[in-house]
Amino acid sequence: MSVRRREGGVQVLQTVDVNDQIHAQLVKAGVRLAATLPDDWLNGLIRRVDRDNDMRHIPVGREAEAIAICAGAFFGGVRSAAIIGNTGLLTCTGEMATLCLRHAIPVFCVVSERGSIDDHMIYQEVQGRRTIPLLQAYDFPYRIIDSADEIETIPDAYEWHRLQKRPFVLFLTKKLLGLKKS
Amino acid sequence: MKTNEAMKVLAAYRGDAVVVCALGTAANEWWAVTRSEDSFYMHGAMGFAASFALGLAVTIPDTPVWVLNSDGSLSMNLGCLLTEAGQQPKNLKHFVVDNQCYQTVSNMPMVNRDGADYAAIARGAGIHRAISIDNAAELERKMPEINAAPGPYFIRLRVDAEPDYRRPPPFSYEGPEMKYRFGRAMEKKLGIKVFGPTGF
Repeated sequence: MSVRRREGGVQVLQTVDVNDQIHAQLVKAGVRLAATLPDDWLNGLIRRVDRDNDMRHIPVGREAEAIAICAGAFFGGVRSAAIIGNTGLLTCTGEMATLCLRHAIPVFCVVSERGSIDDHMIYQEVQGRRTIPLLQAYDFPYRIIDSADEIETIPDAYEWHRLQKRPFVLFLTKKLLGLKKS
Repeated sequence: MKTNEAMKVLAAYRGDAVVVCALGTAANEWWAVTRSEDSFYMHGAMGFAASFALGLAVTIPDTPVWVLNSDGSLSMNLGCLLTEAGQQPKNLKHFVVDNQCYQTVSNMPMVNRDGADYAAIARGAGIHRAISIDNAAELERKMPEINAAPGPYFIRLRVDAEPDYRRPPPFSYEGPEMKYRFGRAMEKKLGIKVFGPTGF
């Protein structure tokens, strides 16, 4: 991804990695712990998190672990994010409801928007159709980030999810992540 | 041993430990013995008290954190042992109350109730300190060493299934109030900020 900036009165084009930008905004939001499980759209972001020595990275074996780890971190006074794929999000909505809704605990989820119109992997199609209706049924708020200029809204989204006192899903699109068409 | 006996021994050796309880017998008996508000009693997400405790433990590394898990809960999330081993939290002790049944749903039998060795599973996952304790006297004898050793430490407590168990949850508060009482207790005990200046 390229951005224009001025340097000594001259406009220059600079290449910025989208995962660096997302990571930087998570840091700006105060996130100091990330619990992750890979999805091939998110591997760049997960690797970026892993390189941050000031952010505790907890790789997990199942996405619901990430939800519960972030819920526990909340009570340690540490801001956190669960970075998981859309398929994994579907597997843990029960835990998001019975832990986070039951106890009114905010958890910030960063999720690949798998199954979108430009994702032609056959095993992602159900996720594409059913994830958002399921989130709406649970009344879990969400936001879809599709362009680089929206990345800077992440700190606002983080504050907003805290006052919602429930899980929040920030979807990252294929276009945003700069992935090739499948 | 009875679960209540085991909880009494643990309470005597608790010290400054923050405690996370899985839903069910362990939580009910810990509350009955301690009435402690700097313990978190999970109301759902069966299987994930250990993950919650791990998230808490890594954020307060100077404070001992105990999770009082159960055989039913552990079976729903055996992968938590891999994640715990991957992090090697020195302040985390993982107790599993093993009564070989789902006691709070009328003592229905646990899956593979006679064939599982949870301590061996924990060791296999990479938690090198993992033991099994069968009675209250042995637990009393082992507690000083368990407290002194670095975590992660996995302790399976073999307890009796009890037909006359506590049926209604014994807590006098629930859900969101549990969050605020525990969060405020953490702020007071550890001098940290869990909630922001306007309460969320």
